[in-house]
Amino acid sequence: MTLRLSIFALLLASLHAQEEQPDRAAIMPEKHREILEFYCYECHDSADPEGGLNMEELPFHISKDIPTAEHWQKILNAMNSGEMPPKKKDQLTDQEKTTFLDDLSNQMVTARKILSDNGGQITLRRLNRREYLNTLEDLLGVRPDASTLPSDAGSGFDTSGADLFFSSDQLEQYVAVAETTLRRALHLKQPKPLKTTRIDPETETSKHYRHYLSELEDIRNRADSLIANPKQNAKDLGFIDLYQAKRQKTAYNNYSPQLEEYLKRPETKTGATLILTIKGGGYTRVKVATLGPNQGGTYTLTTRAAAYHDAPLRLQYLELTSRKGTQAQHLGWQKITSSLENPQEVTFTFTHPTGEKLSYFLHQRTHQDRGDKNLWSVYREKNGLGTPPGVWVDWAKLTGPQPNPKLQKHATQILFPKPKDLTQDQYARAILHRFAQRAFRGQEPSPEFLDKLLAQYQTNIKNGEPLKAALIKPLSIILSSPSFLYMSESTGSKNLSPHELATRLSYFLSSTAPDQQLLALAADGTLTQPEVLRAQTQRLLAHPRAERFIRGFTYQWLQMERLEMFQFDARKYEEFDNATRQSAGQEIYATVRTLFQEHLPLTTLLKSDFIVINDVLADFYRIPGVTGSHFRKVTLPENSPRGGLLGTVAVLAMGSDGLRSSPVERGAWVLRHLLNNPPPPAPPNVPQLGRLAGKALSARSLQKAHQEAPQCAQCHQKIDPIGYALENFDASGKWRDQETVFHGKRNTRTKLFPIDPSGELSDGTKFKDYFELRDVVASRSDAFAQGFSQELIAYGLGRPFGFTDHTLAEEMVKKAKTKNYDPNEFIHALVQSRKFQTK
Amino acid sequence: MIALPFMESFGFEKFASTKIAAAPKRMIFLGMGYGVTADRWYPDTKTVGADYKLPTVLSPLAKHQKDLTIIQNLMHEHSQDGHSGSTFWLTGANRYAIAGQSFHNTVSVDQVAAEQLGKDTRFTSLQLAAKQGSSSGADGHGPGFSLAWNRQGKPIAGLNTPVAAFHRLFSNDNTPLAERQKRLLEQRSVLDTILSDARSVNRKLGKNDTEKLDEYFQSIREIEVRLSKEEQWLTIEKKSPKNPLKEPGESLEGLEEMRMMYDIMAAAMEVDATRVLTYRMPVNSLIQSLGATMSAHSMSHYSEGERRNVSESRDKANAKLLAEFLDKLKATKEADGSSLFDNSTITMGTNLSSVHTLKNCPTLVTGGGAGINHGRHLVMDDPKTPLCNLWLSLLQGTGIQANSHGDSTGKIDQLFTS
Repeated sequence: MTLRLSIFALLLASLHAQEEQPDRAAIMPEKHREILEFYCYECHDSADPEGGLNMEELPFHISKDIPTAEHWQKILNAMNSGEMPPKKKDQLTDQEKTTFLDDLSNQMVTARKILSDNGGQITLRRLNRREYLNTLEDLLGVRPDASTLPSDAGSGFDTSGADLFFSSDQLEQYVAVAETTLRRALHLKQPKPLKTTRIDPETETSKHYRHYLSELEDIRNRADSLIANPKQNAKDLGFIDLYQAKRQKTAYNNYSPQLEEYLKRPETKTGATLILTIKGGGYTRVKVATLGPNQGGTYTLTTRAAAYHDAPLRLQYLELTSRKGTQAQHLGWQKITSSLENPQEVTFTFTHPTGEKLSYFLHQRTHQDRGDKNLWSVYREKNGLGTPPGVWVDWAKLTGPQPNPKLQKHATQILFPKPKDLTQDQYARAILHRFAQRAFRGQEPSPEFLDKLLAQYQTNIKNGEPLKAALIKPLSIILSSPSFLYMSESTGSKNLSPHELATRLSYFLSSTAPDQQLLALAADGTLTQPEVLRAQTQRLLAHPRAERFIRGFTYQWLQMERLEMFQFDARKYEEFDNATRQSAGQEIYATVRTLFQEHLPLTTLLKSDFIVINDVLADFYRIPGVTGSHFRKVTLPENSPRGGLLGTVAVLAMGSDGLRSSPVERGAWVLRHLLNNPPPPAPPNVPQLGRLAGKALSARSLQKAHQEAPQCAQCHQKIDPIGYALENFDASGKWRDQETVFHGKRNTRTKLFPIDPSGELSDGTKFKDYFELRDVVASRSDAFAQGFSQELIAYGLGRPFGFTDHTLAEEMVKKAKTKNYDPNEFIHALVQSRKFQTK
Repeated sequence: MIALPFMESFGFEKFASTKIAAAPKRMIFLGMGYGVTADRWYPDTKTVGADYKLPTVLSPLAKHQKDLTIIQNLMHEHSQDGHSGSTFWLTGANRYAIAGQSFHNTVSVDQVAAEQLGKDTRFTSLQLAAKQGSSSGADGHGPGFSLAWNRQGKPIAGLNTPVAAFHRLFSNDNTPLAERQKRLLEQRSVLDTILSDARSVNRKLGKNDTEKLDEYFQSIREIEVRLSKEEQWLTIEKKSPKNPLKEPGESLEGLEEMRMMYDIMAAAMEVDATRVLTYRMPVNSLIQSLGATMSAHSMSHYSEGERRNVSESRDKANAKLLAEFLDKLKATKEADGSSLFDNSTITMGTNLSSVHTLKNCPTLVTGGGAGINHGRHLVMDDPKTPLCNLWLSLLQGTGIQANSHGDSTGKIDQLFTS
């Protein structure tokens, strides 16, 4: 009796608290007490708490404290894994289990949030990797090589201060990276004179293939000789035995037709036709140049080329990379449209980073790893030759380096001319002082710190180093000190100082330190005036540096790391290659950028009559009339499935595993990012549904297995149906009317299934296909806007979205809604809020 | 100066050999990230003790079967994240233990061991960790830089290429002693300068923030400790193993990268550069070097067919590399005639069993360092036996003072009885 009373009181108390702050408590609904009484008390009661778990006294207020939450977590785990109730005891009905687990798993999510909420406090935060690189680049004019710095492995946004750790190795790496970068920035060599080099690729390629062919022919001749007279000693003919000779002859049969065909082409006398060989060096690469550490700057690469129009579209592109193989960095693509009769000139521009040594190559578009070689075999089976050639290169001309004029400016800003009245030491101190002020974003370094820096410099001078060299170490210390690495916000007053506000705003929207203009407005205090702050916010959003915000935020908000996670089988998804994958990510950024620049409603992301694409994606989407590699708005034909995030190749490909589409991943993504109704995390220790594995079934029938076990059904009945509606897109995001399922031991057999895209949301809203689902999602713009606001708050404030933030999120949506959901207005509403301006 | 380097430097080895000291104990932990092919990796639970059949995927270890122990039914009660095979593997911490924080960890067992075993070696401990792909967690290791976490529960960085590990362990600095002493002095003065700025920042901060900045102070302290140790070892050349290793190539990946890391570990033990080693092993690059065209995460969700084949070939490759490593350790003798193997404890495992399962963490222990009675397949009666009980047993078996580790409830006595 007393127990009941106390729980009642507790419930009242928490209900009361709930009135003040919605969702401030995670409470297991009272209706489930019967279940515990019936199935659990027998063992887990106060008289005999088996396993140390006394459920009779377990508070239903899950978020009461950590021990209570841990008890409930145990219950959740035990029921999810099927361990409890024990097999020989009474079992919950499926219905009971489903609702119990549904409530408990959702309340656990809430409880975890409550218990890890630190009351809206913003923890001191160090610059994350992106911000560190940007800030250093903006100070020194040279982008550091950060490959030695560990990535910011946290669970939320990379701006979340509490999750950004610091280790001793890191500190040493900061000093080392700063030193190298400063050396590059200050020890400017006389820029290399601009020059043009011409590359005629056929001198290499045709010679190479002729040589390779003659090697194959030699093998065939020797093998034929051995086969004709097997009594000869195989070793004399260069083979281990007859078996090996026969095998090597197969290589001749497989690989020589392609080479013979290549060498017969007249155009390979005057240029290089780009092909792929299995053994003869892989891709035909036109090696453009190897550029050294002192050859930094911008280069223009012009090439005269032609396309073979009978080849698949993706092969009619030139791809520029630095490095090759798995190390390759893709620098861009140019589509070649002219034919051999009338070749055209196309131009790439790229920047070679000072201080690095890299080789540059031109070749056809590529897949990851062995994809292209696998594809070659598919083509050879069809045409006897291999992947058809798509591009021919007559010559290439490389012109550069065009030095970066900013470099000298940055260097002079640090090593300004010595004023006459200063002694050498005073001059050095002034250099260090000024640089520290800039690096510390306008904050004054302590005199003690400056003394010590100067002492470092003096030691170096004593050791015979010249001025510039003697300054490198103390300057690098400045760039490794907490005043630089951390965005410290003093807690003297709750309000941020104008300087601190400038810093927070700048890192939010530019991922770098505040610029001159912001610092000036901070210095005279006017930045805190709402209209000044608004104007500055808009200025930053319109600045090219806002791209860093767009990419940094969008990538994490939409969990785009999944786009890189899976390898797509080139044999099945031929068009989903490196160019498509990279362009797919860029489409999302370009779309978000367009909304900000043109003040278009945020809800455009749910459905729109245009998309923002380049030629690579236009080919992929089969949209004609798009030439050039830049992203631009393209109006969609009526009834196009594209338009809105749901129809983008990026989102659809992320909702697969590279082999098959995944209704679960897609459905969960829609709930998380579009409908703002995230499902609880997948519980650990749930047995995999192995029963249907390996059977040739449609994705939809496979998912039905989720309905069999209540611990799966509780979430999957909300998730999976959304995914069904997206089944008209294959794993790579291409439209399909039937589902092709690969099966059999080597996954080579195929079976076709009709697609049933109909389903309903958990609230009962029905849709009959993809188009109706998209309309349903588009009609829920407030939920989408609410989710977007929550993510912006977490990213911008550098801490997880907390319970105390709901009002702010609602406020942001309300304000933006009056401006037709202009994404800029969400930012303004956040920046103008009290939370953004206080510690 | 501490004893051992002093003796080494003055050619006291001969003197020492007249009265042979016991060979030093060592501990090695090998983390596999995304677990194993569960229904193929574990021996049949119906056969326990010495009379069990080594599963096919572990067959490369057959000749070492009498020297290893496979233990089932160990787990971390608090682990909840189905993609983190390494974050809590050696710690057993509860991520949510501290109110107001969304992430919490505690010291890892290797670091506890290193406090004692690492006193007399140039490197207190050595962390190796394969580079992670572009997306974090892609190898199923979870948050962290290596398997190791310090006393404050913060991640410790790892050397992530064989070439970096090679230089750290075996490259001698040829600059004159005076020059190197000067450099140490310089490094100290760098720390001192940085510290003065850290102090002035600290004065302005509130309580929460000073806790965060404490990570920075802690880093400075750690470097100071390391510099003192470097100073002690300044006059002593780094030793090369009997068969010196060649400098590894920059581009080693997958299987060859791992083989090189194993060679480096064996060599580091041979020259007694360190006594505590951890290696967070690659998964993606491993399976790709075995010819797979899928990601490690796809593979971990194996079903029948291609994924399962890849998953099993991954298990086999791991077993093969371990077997080669054990061959080396058995062949390398200490001064007292025992082998490196006799004095080491090597654990291969992960917090993840397979897919998202965190129960029955795959655990294989080998080596004679902790006095385990090997050659058996042990299945704990309680399917929730804390993995930390094993860590505690290994610590105590190695002679390290410890009453508990993580959420341990006691030693696993069966390990030591027959």
